Amino acid sequence: MEVANSKISLEPKTICKRCVLPESRSDIWLDDEGVCNICREFEKNKEPEQQKTTFLESDFVKILNQNKGNGKYHCLVMCSGGKDSTASLYYMKKRYKVNPLAFTFDHGFETEDALENVRNAVEILGVDYLFFKSDFMKEMFAEIVKTGSKAILCHPCSIWYMGLTYEIAARFDIPIIIAGWTKGQTTQQPVMSRCGCNIHQTEFASMSKETRAFLDGYMKKNLKYHDFPRSMEEVLSRAKKRHKAMVLSPHWFLPTDAHAYVEILKKELNWKFPRLSYPALSTNCYLNFLSVYNSMKNFGYTHYHVEMSKMIRESLLSREEALELLAINFDRGVLDLVAQKLGCTFSASGTLEPK
Amino acid sequence: MNILGISCHYHDAAACLIKDGQVVVAVQEERFNRIKNSADFPINAINYCIQAGGITFDEIDHVGFYEKPFLKFSRVIIDHLQAWPYSLKNFMDTMPYWLQDRLVLPLTLEKEIGFKGKVFFIKHHLSHAASSFLVSPFEEAAILTSDAVGEWATMTCGRGRGNDIQIFKEIQYPHSLGLVYTAVTTYLGFAAHEGEGTVMALASVGKPKYLDQFRKIVRVKDDGSFFIDESFFGFNKGTRMYSGKFIKTFGTARLPGSALEERHCDVAASLQKFTEETLVTIARDLYKETKLDRLCLAGGLFLNCVANSKILEQGPFKEIFIQPAAGDSGGALGVASYVYHSILKNPRNCVMTHAYLGTEYSADQIKRILLNRNITFKEFDDVELLRYVAGEIAKDKIVGWFQGRMEFGPRALGNRSILANPCNPHIKEILNAKVKKREPFRPYAPLVLEEKAGEFFELKGASPFMLLAPMVKKEKREVVPGIVHVDGTARVQTVNINTNQKLYQLIKEFENLTGVPIIINTSFNLRGEPVVCSPEDAINCFRKSEMDYLVLGNFLVEKS
Repeated sequence: MEVANSKISLEPKTICKRCVLPESRSDIWLDDEGVCNICREFEKNKEPEQQKTTFLESDFVKILNQNKGNGKYHCLVMCSGGKDSTASLYYMKKRYKVNPLAFTFDHGFETEDALENVRNAVEILGVDYLFFKSDFMKEMFAEIVKTGSKAILCHPCSIWYMGLTYEIAARFDIPIIIAGWTKGQTTQQPVMSRCGCNIHQTEFASMSKETRAFLDGYMKKNLKYHDFPRSMEEVLSRAKKRHKAMVLSPHWFLPTDAHAYVEILKKELNWKFPRLSYPALSTNCYLNFLSVYNSMKNFGYTHYHVEMSKMIRESLLSREEALELLAINFDRGVLDLVAQKLGCTFSASGTLEPK
Repeated sequence: MNILGISCHYHDAAACLIKDGQVVVAVQEERFNRIKNSADFPINAINYCIQAGGITFDEIDHVGFYEKPFLKFSRVIIDHLQAWPYSLKNFMDTMPYWLQDRLVLPLTLEKEIGFKGKVFFIKHHLSHAASSFLVSPFEEAAILTSDAVGEWATMTCGRGRGNDIQIFKEIQYPHSLGLVYTAVTTYLGFAAHEGEGTVMALASVGKPKYLDQFRKIVRVKDDGSFFIDESFFGFNKGTRMYSGKFIKTFGTARLPGSALEERHCDVAASLQKFTEETLVTIARDLYKETKLDRLCLAGGLFLNCVANSKILEQGPFKEIFIQPAAGDSGGALGVASYVYHSILKNPRNCVMTHAYLGTEYSADQIKRILLNRNITFKEFDDVELLRYVAGEIAKDKIVGWFQGRMEFGPRALGNRSILANPCNPHIKEILNAKVKKREPFRPYAPLVLEEKAGEFFELKGASPFMLLAPMVKKEKREVVPGIVHVDGTARVQTVNINTNQKLYQLIKEFENLTGVPIIINTSFNLRGEPVVCSPEDAINCFRKSEMDYLVLGNFLVEKS
């Protein structure tokens, strides 16, 4: 994707001195020392030596052994082509020696680089692969952008993606769904029962409220989406009725940091960082740029800020590293190109307007 | 080939990974779960072994367990029956553990780590013997093991040659020097499996006035075998390890925390003296049997560095190797070595020259933790750091020193250590007040440059694992008053440049400043806590104590 160069400025002004969350009433506020309520709560709840929320790898092995079953596929790996999900696929095949089915979902905004990473991985690892591409959600995304809704673009996308994943797991009778979620994308639960970003976290309260409000209103007037789940809870509740698959990520159980597994992926799976993605060193889709822009504009932070803040609290990332990764590395040109695919333009004044 | 060794269920649970004969990781569970002397199935330690060893769970070829649970169970049942009905409470307390954990290790391994392969169960004292001989530098040696009790054995004598170990003599429960030592430890008001070192230190303060009584209670023959008069003890009769008869002989027991009387010191001195002379007798007989000049020691009793020195000084052996994890944690290493070398008949290829076999943290990890905890620190290069820290120690500052890989075994050997100036005559009081809160009679141990040890101590050879207590040369006692015990000994650790270069260089810097190639070393922990494992543990310990500096790798934190 060729883009014009015109920098945008969206950095949060005042952020917590411990993590990278900005003040965002009424969910997040900073105290006199400049530390946010989420960090204070973390300090208060646990003794420092108990603050690790990682599990042991043997717990993961135990879950796999107890649940993988005797079907053709032991697990369904949600693989976007990013480093974390590709590493998950790699671990399942090479470290845990189970038979995974890889699944990639493209809503029309995935980058070629990411898709190439997936193709390389499945070919080299010799795993079966399902690729699903559809512009079914395009109208909904466009509606969010055109109406200036504060709904987070990534939320309905995640709902859709998880719903599809559960459907595939049910169809192939696969008992375990493997994601590439990092330690920053979970709360401490033995087996995951929610999507990676736990929308019940305080930090997500306002964001999820806006998404819910949008979905409630929009789905009433658009019959195309009448059956679309309105929340992750609804996805889970529907999935539960049909098939019981659990969702978890090997990254929660392994001490290996991203630098180490990226080196393995590069060497063994010919994996590459995409030319352009946000946050730095990630592999997210083009729509993510608009989602990040809207989140920053409306809330002052993104779900990446939440994830990295959690990792900072658990000393898996330093604040400086997080700030470097979260620095806005894209410009108006990128936003405009994505907006145009949704029938909008990104104006010079920084607003999204219908064409 | 990957062999996982495990010890657990009693105390000092640990795991060890041997890859093609090389000991690559060995670590105690207590360091992770922060429960001192933890007996739990060492799931954290096993996970660390797998990850640090660079293998997966299904790449474990064999598992070795450091004792034979069913054989031990038979002894426990017989013991309970003999002591019935006094043993009822013990029986009720321990049976659930036997049935749920201790007798079902293969099931636990399958459940916890998915291991379905062969599990080798090796006798407790054979594991100890292997932990010493198979990683010793000796091709052939006599072997002596002693602790409280394994299955039935409490002490064994044997011989090792190549990868073969033959045990030719054993003394069985209840006749146990280790149990006697622990029983008297509890009589003196200290905790079992923890206070034995304190009793050893206390012994120096007293006089062996009760030596004859101990000689009567434990009758030792010329060949080193011994027989305990059980009427003085109650190893499995109730909540107390000693009997009313013992109290009649030695007076009322000391309550934990109460004042120490002269009598208590004398009982400790008598016990220690008796233990030393018995071990020397046994060692002499072992020499007669084997005619070998080299001796390997393991088992909890050989954490008694004063007795070890007596064996070396008064016994006939020219060289001694003592497993640094001489207690049950070392059994994990012993059984793994035994499976690889002795059962699977692979030639020996590993000499344990150091005990740095545990966790380690990169500079990036440490820096991240410091930054995220909002801790002010300075980063140095090696040369600057050593010069600065040596200088501060010389100024009587107390330094928490966290470097490289954690030690295996109970001793902090310079990577998870608190360091101080041995030249200050009041340093013991300062350390006790600021950090360790120890009994005043307990000494602090010196780290000394290996090549300079002879200048300060009556020491033959090296003492890399702090398991010998030679005399401090009289003319040097005033130079290093901080490390001289009441009886003129010191628990020495010699430091070799090849096994711990950074520590060696630090002592060298200290020597350049003071002329003394010695630094005080005590374990990096607070009283009652396990030695620190991670930078977080070190920071927590630093915050709770009054140490002046914390050095994590090349990062220095000053007490604000």
